[in-house]
Amino acid sequence: MSKLNEVKEMVQKGRTKKIAGVVQEALDAGADAQEILDAMVDTMGDVGDAFSRDEIFVPEMLIAAKAMKLGLEVIEPQLASGAGEKLGKCIIGTVEGDLHDIGKNLVAMMIKSSGFDVIDMGVDVPVDTFIEKIKENPDVKVVAFSGLLTTTMPALKASVEAAKNCDVGNFKVLVGGAPVTEEYADEIGADGYAQDAGSAVTVAKELIASL
Amino acid sequence: MLSIKENFLETLKRGNPDRYVNQYEFVKLLMHPYWTATPPATPGGPPVVNPWGVTISFPEGMPGPFPIHDEEHIVVKDVTKWKDVVKAPATSYSEEDWAPFVEEMEAIDRNEFFVAPFIAPGIFEQTHYLLEIQNCLMAFYEEPEAMHELIAYITEFELAYAEDICKHLKPNALFHHDDWGTQKSTFLSPDMFNEFFLDPYKKVYQRYRDLGVELIIHHSDSYAATLVPSMIEMGIDVWQGVMSTNNVPELIEKYGDDIIFMGGIDSSKIDKPDWTAEETLKIVEDVCRAAGKRAFIPCNTMGGPESMYPGAYDAVTEAIKVVSKKMF
Ligand code: B12
Repeated sequence: MSKLNEVKEMVQKGRTKKIAGVVQEALDAGADAQEILDAMVDTMGDVGDAFSRDEIFVPEMLIAAKAMKLGLEVIEPQLASGAGEKLGKCIIGTVEGDLHDIGKNLVAMMIKSSGFDVIDMGVDVPVDTFIEKIKENPDVKVVAFSGLLTTTMPALKASVEAAKNCDVGNFKVLVGGAPVTEEYADEIGADGYAQDAGSAVTVAKELIASL
Repeated sequence: MLSIKENFLETLKRGNPDRYVNQYEFVKLLMHPYWTATPPATPGGPPVVNPWGVTISFPEGMPGPFPIHDEEHIVVKDVTKWKDVVKAPATSYSEEDWAPFVEEMEAIDRNEFFVAPFIAPGIFEQTHYLLEIQNCLMAFYEEPEAMHELIAYITEFELAYAEDICKHLKPNALFHHDDWGTQKSTFLSPDMFNEFFLDPYKKVYQRYRDLGVELIIHHSDSYAATLVPSMIEMGIDVWQGVMSTNNVPELIEKYGDDIIFMGGIDSSKIDKPDWTAEETLKIVEDVCRAAGKRAFIPCNTMGGPESMYPGAYDAVTEAIKVVSKKMF
């Protein structure tokens, strides 16, 4: 098996203890860092799709993402700075009052592996903190909010409104989370909605294409 | 008209109930000293460390308590070293500790109601309370042996405490919490779930049966349709909390001879600030018409006879009465 295929398999199966070694071997065998990165990104895309189709579960998705992260650490020094197709910045976080982050993390990982620079603000993020971060990063392309509790839907709405009214830069607002629906996303004025981590990437890419 | 218990038993026998079993009407849930030895977190109160060492917070305005999982508070940071940090709580309590619960138990009319201790968190929940859920889910892959050991340890605690519970409360039922999934999926694949949890649960539920429990009710308000064969093998009689995403009518058709489905009425649909009796009635009626009468107990999916918003649970009870009259 080619070393690149082996790297792909390490990501797909989430071999967190072996991937660093395999990536190093691939580099030693002459593969270039960009090639390895592309292979990992492709594989992560497949993993996200399998998750959307309910073929794999949260643990499989989490360890694949962890494996990719560990693989990335090996090639990062080799990746010429700024190399790779960059899609721009994405600020993401879970809204105030809400501590659920599994879904948000999966979305962040997928968006990151598809080529965005992700600024993850964590959980329970007050509206003002989001706005400050947007102001610090006027080149942000996508601002993504996650909300998992029906009781924090008002915070989601407030976050979307504040972001839309913020007169900095030019970005799109993406929302998601189990209780959020396409209709609700429209109602609160978000630009995009995705129901899972796999489709979040597709929607995020569509959104920036329309900027 | 059959009594509440007779009607429940007819439903359990797949016999001739004369109305729907109405939510939790047939069972009284009892607490026990585990819950009072360390007073639980209260809304707006300070965080408390629970009997397993997990710090639980309950800020004002939150629908419920939850574990704090920042770096400092995670109990098990390295699952291979769980033995150094996990210590199970007491598995027996003094007569004095038991007295208030025994008194409560004695006041229950067993001709009318089942008596069920309320056990939570379940074995899976306990693992992610201790490890933090994402670390925990990855640990099933990365450190399966340590996970098996930790699960065995939690199971031993449950088995031992079951003895003390049954000695004092003499329950004829059990209400056991363990959320195994999200709205649309299980956390673990069914194979992985079975590898880690089937045997431990078989042991726990068998122990309760050996100690006199006749009815095992398991709560998981989630998707878990793919785990129903495992539930049956574990000895679960009633799956409470079955969400509509499981396709309840299809489950009844497939497994209705072996397990009762209690739920179908998603709390997210009926337990909200702007609930109305009319809307609740419509939801309940649709659920009941689709599920039919066999092997089904209409119930709010929440793990207890209550709601987050005042009146929402009782509105479901009233709606079920109305629907029962139409359907029976
Ligand atoms: C795991 C869990 C927890 C864990 C969270 C751990 C963590 N680090 O996140 C813990 C135990 C800490 C917890 C705590 C609580 N929880 Co909780 N929790 C869950 C549970 C079981 C699963 C959520 C989950 O992780 N799903 C898996 C992920 C992969 O799915 P997801 O989050 O939906 O994300 C996907 C999509 O929605 C989407 N997505 C998500 N975010 C975004 C963002 C964008 C931009 C996009 C595009 C897409 C997107 O993509 C994701 C990946 O595909 C749900 C049950 C359920 N039925 O969902 C309850 C649930 C959400 N919790 C609930 C409650 C009530 C609580 C608590 C109040 C405690 C309690 N007593 O139950 C506290 C609240 C804490 C707080 N302040 O937030 C309720 C909410 C009810 C309601 N009225 O809203 C639920 C529904 C359980 C229930 N049936 O009662 N919980």
